[in-house]
Amino acid sequence: MSKEIQQGTEKQNAHVQELNTALGAFLQYNPELGKELSLSLNSNNSDNQPLSGMTFAVKDNIAVKGFRLTCGSKMLEKFISPYSATAVDRLVGAGATVVGKTNLDEFGMGSSTDNSALLRTNNPWNTDYVAGGSSGGSAAAVAAGLVPFALGTDTGGSVRQPAAFCGVYGLKPGYGSVSRYGLVAYASSLEGIGLLGLDIGLLKTSFETMAGLDAKDQTTTDMACFRKTSTNRKGRVALLGGLEGLSPEVEEEYRSVVSHLPEIGFTTEEVRLPFLDYVVPAYYTIAAAEASANLARYTGIRYGLSDSEAETPRELTELSRNAGFGPEVKLRILLGTFVLRSGFQDRYYLQAQKIRSALRKSMADLFQKYELILSPVFPVQAFPHDSDQLDPFQQKLADRFTATANLAGVPALSFPTGLRNGLPVGMQFIGPDGSEDLLFQAAASYRRIYEPEHPERFIGRSEREV
Amino acid sequence: MSMKEGKQTGAGRPGYEIYIGLEIHIQLLTRTKAFCSCRAGYGDEPNTNVCPVCLGYPGVLPALNEEAVKQAYLVAAALNCQSAALTSFDRKNYFYPDMPKNYQISQFYRPIGTGGYIDYPVDSGIRKVRIHDVHLEEDAGKMIHAGDVSLIDYNRAGTPLLEIVTEPDIKSGEQAEAFLRYFRSFVRYLSVCNGNMEEGSLRCDANISLNRPGAGLGRKVELKNMNSSRFVRLALEHEVERQSGLLDAGETVAQETRLWNENRDATILMRKKEAAHDYRYFPEPDLPAFYPDEKFLGQVKQQLVELPLERRLRLQQEYGLSIEAAAYLTIERETADFFEAVLKVLQGGAEGFAATVYNWLNGDVMKELNNRNLSLGNSPLSPKRLADLLLLLEEGRIHGKIAKKVLSLIFERDRDPEFLIADEGFEQISDDNSLRKLIEKVCSDNPEALKQARAGEKKVLGYLIGQVMKSSGGRAEPQRTRNLLAEIIDADEEKEEKAR
Ligand SMILES: [Zn+2]
Repeated sequence: MSKEIQQGTEKQNAHVQELNTALGAFLQYNPELGKELSLSLNSNNSDNQPLSGMTFAVKDNIAVKGFRLTCGSKMLEKFISPYSATAVDRLVGAGATVVGKTNLDEFGMGSSTDNSALLRTNNPWNTDYVAGGSSGGSAAAVAAGLVPFALGTDTGGSVRQPAAFCGVYGLKPGYGSVSRYGLVAYASSLEGIGLLGLDIGLLKTSFETMAGLDAKDQTTTDMACFRKTSTNRKGRVALLGGLEGLSPEVEEEYRSVVSHLPEIGFTTEEVRLPFLDYVVPAYYTIAAAEASANLARYTGIRYGLSDSEAETPRELTELSRNAGFGPEVKLRILLGTFVLRSGFQDRYYLQAQKIRSALRKSMADLFQKYELILSPVFPVQAFPHDSDQLDPFQQKLADRFTATANLAGVPALSFPTGLRNGLPVGMQFIGPDGSEDLLFQAAASYRRIYEPEHPERFIGRSEREV
Repeated sequence: MSMKEGKQTGAGRPGYEIYIGLEIHIQLLTRTKAFCSCRAGYGDEPNTNVCPVCLGYPGVLPALNEEAVKQAYLVAAALNCQSAALTSFDRKNYFYPDMPKNYQISQFYRPIGTGGYIDYPVDSGIRKVRIHDVHLEEDAGKMIHAGDVSLIDYNRAGTPLLEIVTEPDIKSGEQAEAFLRYFRSFVRYLSVCNGNMEEGSLRCDANISLNRPGAGLGRKVELKNMNSSRFVRLALEHEVERQSGLLDAGETVAQETRLWNENRDATILMRKKEAAHDYRYFPEPDLPAFYPDEKFLGQVKQQLVELPLERRLRLQQEYGLSIEAAAYLTIERETADFFEAVLKVLQGGAEGFAATVYNWLNGDVMKELNNRNLSLGNSPLSPKRLADLLLLLEEGRIHGKIAKKVLSLIFERDRDPEFLIADEGFEQISDDNSLRKLIEKVCSDNPEALKQARAGEKKVLGYLIGQVMKSSGGRAEPQRTRNLLAEIIDADEEKEEKAR
């Protein structure tokens, strides 16, 4: 590397560090470490790979070898990952370089990133506002142009909601499209690694790089099995009813988007999804149940926060977990333990699984008739830190549009549709299994109606325009 | 010792029906662990066969080892179970320091095998035990307490375990012991486990309840910590005494888990029912269901072998062996294979030969193997070599003592018997000329003995034969030597008489 470029890079890095101070997007920013990783993975450091020269940020619940893997938790604050997630390995193998790890709600549990035990993340459009969550750090970093794209994870909307709050695209791939190996598990049957960015072409390339079978994740599917063209459904969009409880801004924006769809070749029709009201309870029951098992491994015995005063293994486990987990994590572990108790599974966990099956079926029925579903991402726009506009319970209820796609395991993409009161609003397209490409196309079409941009303060940063 | 060994037999305790079920865990003999690619080996340096997956690091996922599933289907088939067309895994939740994820990947809703049975020999009869289910799971690590610290070795964590749950069809501790002895042999025949209870590669928990005849199962007591089939019998016999004592006195048996304490020869309370774990089973989301296809099931079928009891019955019938002989020969597949291979070389199993081969295997061959710490599979003695040795004996080219010497030499020098006999000059001396020379020399060296022999002292005759054997290095053919010696003594007498 020439001296000039090196100095330029250093200047650039210093600039990102400075912006990050205002945003709190990165928990760890270390492009040098990312370069080392790239060098160790790419023996033939050629420049004509699909993602050559591209940098990206990784949500801090996804493993990158040599980087910390905090999950926004005191429990793993000092934990350094000895391995990389398959998705990361594939992106790095295609020429991209990791620059750092982004903030999140602890273990992905939350929708504001204010549940991070380590750092507060601000919305680049107004730093008094939350960036959304749980992939708030990735959304803020991308919106502010600190990186051209970032990885997030989506369990019930955790990629799409912060993407909408920060005015960027957010893809939740279909379940099994992208390997979960290296994603720190919260709710295994619901979550996946997703993408955030402003450049749809770049997101598509990144997605195709990450996707596909992985021997380390036996729930992955071969994307090739979905390659089929739709005919009679072409351009037909189902509008999800049950929109009660939207803020006036989101409701207006939604109606405006619907009115614009015919301009880009879509016809719309209102439908009712019979189980929408049950989505949130079913989603939280399953997520909490799985979380209670997934988070049982953090005991301070092999790694992570470890209480040094403990006298017995049991005491070590109790003290470490008590000190290491925040209140929201504890709440969900307790809830999950509760719903799985023997004698109570019928009432909660099995009931939730039944709702899930019924929802899957009614979604599959919808996709017999419609190419895509359109819905809001979240009932409200980004809210101020510590606001009482939505209490934690209402925040959970607000997940109904996004969690629908997670319960059904289908892909969904949130796309920016405009600004209201100086803050972005986003809608989402939901498609059937294997329709990620279609979702990218639909979002790209909508750019003819609205072209998203960086907030003024952050215009003209490192974004690669295509 | 408080329990009188062998007092309680198959008859059970008068007045009560006894119901015993077993939960057996076997460590499968796969090359790698159940859900990662670490070596599934035992006895390595602690924490050397580990990786992020089996250590339960954040973000890792299990990847099912098909070889473990295949062995599980094999056991299920050999146990006459219904093999699942779809099998899946579940999480069993409980905290224990040696369990990295604090849940165990196991099978609860859709185990690999259900509803089977196994016949096993007890005394001289055969009994049947029904199998409730066969399911695959992962093992935990090993906690080692050293002074005031506890150390954990995770080499074993994630290695594949197969659990076999029987119905409560066993009626006594003695039957349980016989069953376990047989089961060890059974899993070794299938090459799925080395069946060592002391080392824990085969583990057994038991449950037992007593009730008045016709009243159904009683309150179940679970028994743990029995690391030999003998301890299983002793613990069960102790429980029969304890529970029937309670019932006799009009008390009830508490539903609880008890531990066998070998120092006290008694079971002691571990936990009451109320303190039992709620495992909160739910489907393992990280592993898709497994559907065995035709090819997979074909491979399983190919590995099904004749089981020890079937083989024992066949050997009895085919070769006219006694139960004891056939039972001995069929404990290990290796022994039975060897036995049949020897008979094949000897061409056909004339009854006499079968018994001879058994006697050699059970006697001198076993002695040689034990002395050298070898097994039939890894010793220089091939079935062909043993058969050749027996043929040399049969043809009279060597006699019994030499044959044993040759057997030792096969082990020592790893050569064929024919070669060894030539090389050591072991061939029997049976031509009269050579024998006569040997005898005359002995007689002239022992004039006193000769005189006594002539006087008719039988003992001295034996002494002289011994001297001939000694001077020939054991090669003189014994019967011929005796005859010739007798001739020479008589001839001498005649000579002397003539001289008079
Ligand atoms: Zn491993």
